[in-house]
Parts: sequence; C-alpha cells; structure tokens
Amino acid sequence: MLVFAISDKGGTGRSVTSSNIVYRRALQGQDVCYLDFDFGSPTVGAIFRVSTASRGTTRGGMHRYLQGEITEPSRIDVWTESDRDTIRAKPAGAGQMVLLPGDQGGGEFATFDAEMLKRCVRLFAKLHEQFDLIMVDLSAGRSFAAHLALAATAQLPKIPARWLVFHRWTRQHIIAANGLVKGEHGLLDVGREYGHDPGALTDRIRFVRTAVLELGSGDFAHLRPAQRSWLNEIDRELRELATRNGVGLTTMLGKVPLDPVLQWREQLISDEDVAGTEIANAETVFAFDDLAKKIVDDTAWEGL
Amino acid sequence: MLIMGEVRTGLLQNSAEIEERDHQTVLGLLAGERVRMSRRPIVYAVSPDLLTGVDCRLPSASNARIRGVGTLVSRATITGGRILQGSSYVRVVRGEVNHRLPWSHYLARPGVVEVLGKVSAPDLAGGFLAFGPPGEQLDLGSVSDRFMDVVQESALLDLRAPFRSDRTRLRWVAETGEPGVHFILGESTGRTLRLTHHGEFSPAVVDLCEDLALHDWLLTALLTIVQRARIGGASRPEVSARLAPAVDTLLHLWMPGARIHPSLAPLWENLERTPGFSRQWQSLVERVRDQLAVNTLALLRETNG
Repeated sequence: MLVFAISDKGGTGRSVTSSNIVYRRALQGQDVCYLDFDFGSPTVGAIFRVSTASRGTTRGGMHRYLQGEITEPSRIDVWTESDRDTIRAKPAGAGQMVLLPGDQGGGEFATFDAEMLKRCVRLFAKLHEQFDLIMVDLSAGRSFAAHLALAATAQLPKIPARWLVFHRWTRQHIIAANGLVKGEHGLLDVGREYGHDPGALTDRIRFVRTAVLELGSGDFAHLRPAQRSWLNEIDRELRELATRNGVGLTTMLGKVPLDPVLQWREQLISDEDVAGTEIANAETVFAFDDLAKKIVDDTAWEGL
Repeated sequence: MLIMGEVRTGLLQNSAEIEERDHQTVLGLLAGERVRMSRRPIVYAVSPDLLTGVDCRLPSASNARIRGVGTLVSRATITGGRILQGSSYVRVVRGEVNHRLPWSHYLARPGVVEVLGKVSAPDLAGGFLAFGPPGEQLDLGSVSDRFMDVVQESALLDLRAPFRSDRTRLRWVAETGEPGVHFILGESTGRTLRLTHHGEFSPAVVDLCEDLALHDWLLTALLTIVQRARIGGASRPEVSARLAPAVDTLLHLWMPGARIHPSLAPLWENLERTPGFSRQWQSLVERVRDQLAVNTLALLRETNG
C-alpha cells in the first residue's frame, strides 16, 4: 500500500509522525519503507538518526533517480544503519524498515516530464513488490511532488493508495488543511486533472491532528478556572470549525498528543523512551501504534 | 575469454499462478517473437533473446579504465506461473583493434562485448563480483531488472501477490577449465557464483545459473516466511496463517536441476553437497508441515473441548 503524507503548512509534525507510524508498523511485523519526497529539504535521515543521510544522501537518492541519472535510488536499512542503539536492536518478528533518502542539495523540481513520471510509477510498482507499506513524505504546501504522486497513482489503480493530511489543532491549520484538499489547485482539483475520480479520491483522504492538547488530561490540573474555561470554549469553536471544513471527527484517522520530545527533537520514539528513560509519554506511542494499525484497517476508510 | 551475467529473481505480481495461455501475453511484451514453453516437469516459459547495445566502462577489481563495446543478451522467464527472472550475460573478448568499429560489426556478434585495449580476466571477474556502487560501468543487473519491470507492468497481472518479497541478485562468471563451482551468499540480496566447465561456452551454462538463482530465491523466500511466522512466539492460528502462503505458493516449485544439460549436472551435485540447497529446503518444508499439523491438532482439541 502507498501512503502519502502531506500538509499545507510547515511545522505540523508531518515527517516525524509519518516516520513513527512507519517504525510502529515495522514493529508490528510488516515490511515498510519511507521515501523522502521533500526534495527541497531532505532531512528525514535525521529523524531515523542515520548520520550518512541526515541532510540527504550523497550516494544517489530520490532526486537523482527521478531525473534519470541513476537506475536505482540508494536504500538505507534503518535497523542496521541508525546511530541509535535502541533502534538498531531489531526485535524478533519485526519487518524490514528501509529509508530511501533524498539527495543532498537536491532542490525542488519546477515541473516534471513523461519520463520522470514513468520512473516514479516504476519505482512505486517495484516497492509494492517488496513492502507492505510505502510511506511517501511530501513537502509542505502545494508542491510539484504532490502533482507527481497524484499522476503516478492515477496510473497504478491496482495498488491501494491513501493520503494523510497533517494539521495542528488551530484555526489557521484547520482552514489550511481543508484548502489543501478542496481548494483551488488542491488535491482533488489536481487529482481530477490526472484522471482520478474526485469521489473515490476523497474516500482515500484522512486527516491527522498533531500536537493536540487533551483538555481532560492531568496536564491541565494547574490551570486557573478562567484559563480552563477559555480553552474549553476555544476547543468547542475549533471543533465546529473543523466540522464545517470537512476536517471533523468523521474524516479524522487519529490524533497525536503534544509531546515535549517531539517538540524539541524530531525522533523515533522507542519503547525504551517511554518505559526506560521515561522522556516520552506512553500516550504518544499509543497514538502512533493506533495510527499504524488504522492506516491499513479498511473499516477506518469506508466511504463517508 | 570470460562470460559474466546477472540473474534477478522475484515473485510475479499476481494473486494466483498465471494460466499457460497467458504466458505469451505477459512475456510477449518484450518482442514480437513467440515465447517458448515447456510443461514438464514444471511449466516454464522463456521470452525471446533481447539484445542491448553497450559502449561503457567494464568493472575492474584494480579500478583500471577498461572500455568495452558490443551487445549483451537478456531474457525473461516465468517458472510455475509464479517466479519471474530477468537474466543478462555477455562474453567479454579482446577486440582486434583498439578503436570502436561500426555497429554492424558488433551486431553480427550478439552477446559479445569487445574490449578496446588490454584486459585481464581475473581483474574483470573480481570487479564484477564485488558488487561495487552502481556507476557508469556495465550494469547487467539493471538491464535484467528493467525487463522484469516490463513484465510486471503487464495488464494481465492483478498486483496482489500472496506475500511481499525482495528480488535476489545472482552475479556469475564462467570460464573454461577443470569443472568446479563456488557459490557465495552475500549479506543482503546479492549472491555470487564462479563456475568453470569443460569445452566451449554454451547457453546451457546460463540455464544452470538461472536454475541456481531460482532455487536460491525459493530458499530465501521460504526462510523469510518461516522467520516471520514467529514459531513459538506468536499464537498457533497466527503462525499457521503466516505459513500458509508458503504452502499455497512455494513448496511445489522445488525441482533443482530440472532443465540442466547432463554435461553440467555434476556442478549441481557439487552445490547440493555444499552448501546443500535441497537439504536445507527439505528441513524447512518439514518444519512448515509439522507446524501446520501441530497447530491444526491443537485447534481441533480446543474445539472439541
């Protein structure tokens, strides 16, 4: 299955959340890979703590492959090449976890031609042979990479494809997430251009809320009553806004709580980070685990 | 002088075995000619030979700049309606002149690459079998891979293979000499084979390499399925469910040496002694069957209370 991670704005935690979903899916025993399609800023290597690709690779990555300079993009086995000991300790029964990094100094493309599209289609088809889950991290905003992904999936109707739109729980982000899907030059608009049926494509899009504050949780015990009621009021407004914008509960796949570890250092959260050093929250891991299951659970993707 | 080739092997991307009549369409994509088929002891189809012209650097263990010009031969095969292989090889010979000749010269020698300048066979073989980083040198594997991609793109295939699997890469070199064979299993998907045989090179050598690649892939795929099943770690129904694709898809495909020319049969026998492919396969198959039997019995006991 192909999963595309996209967001309208930067700083939504798109890359770190999708990386953690991939990590959880591998721990659940599936073969997974992660493609860095954020050509302008290929930094996913840093999240997986692969120092040879922390700012993209120099050995031939996604950018050079799509341009036809190399016949196969380089692959990094995260279980063996990560610098973090806890990641390198691959548990029994875990699946493959492979990173296909971007190129150092790659840069965004301004457009793409038929040849580049063909290479992209071929790459997706080939990865589908090997991996249960292919996570494609697209850059923020309306990018060329998103166009390429829409054009390629239109040519691969037999490979299941799903889209995750990441947004924070704020007024601006809710409106922007809706615009990214339904607005002018949004996913549905562009998808139609490349031959997608807008109805079918809509069914393949779900939203993921990130850095969410849970009002019921103990974190708010210290708040003054005035602050608490103000937050409750805002939250109610946001929920209404989200529903009006088609970003409400029915189209939401999951949410990730605010976690200091993710705010200060984008990284994979291992079970050791929760149970051992206790730097991360159990709820965060639970949210990633849940998302990793829901991504492939058809009941979460039934037509609305 | 030296023959080198690379075979890539993978699972055909279809939920079921493809029907006999569909082989022509699936493999016929590659050229207008007919696909050759044999039905015993296992359904096997092979595409017509395809030529690819090259003018590029050849691999070299000493990093020498060796230029070769000529054509390489490729073909795609499907075994048991399930396993797809892309295979390419070249015969590397010393050119009579040190400059490039008109293409008609090379086209008259299909599958031959002529070296412009000096070359040593061990240096060439060493460089080729080293699996160096892909660069601007002769890359037989990516040609083989490319033909596999074309087959997998066939509209007849539903892209719902019963399990995920990686393509394996077998690089081989063959020379004339006292018969011998040396197989090395690399760390990830790479394998190498050095082979010496009596007499002149014949395509039977390529058949042998493809047959070896096929059985190595089967073994690799079955090993992966058994490892992932987490026997003893996961619940019995889960283990059975994870082993099922092996029974449905793989177990009946094991037929080492089925299409090998009798003159090369002793080389297969060598490989059966070390590393002992069939021995390992047999023990894995028994393990799978025993697990399924034990799990079924346990399930029956539970339902009968």
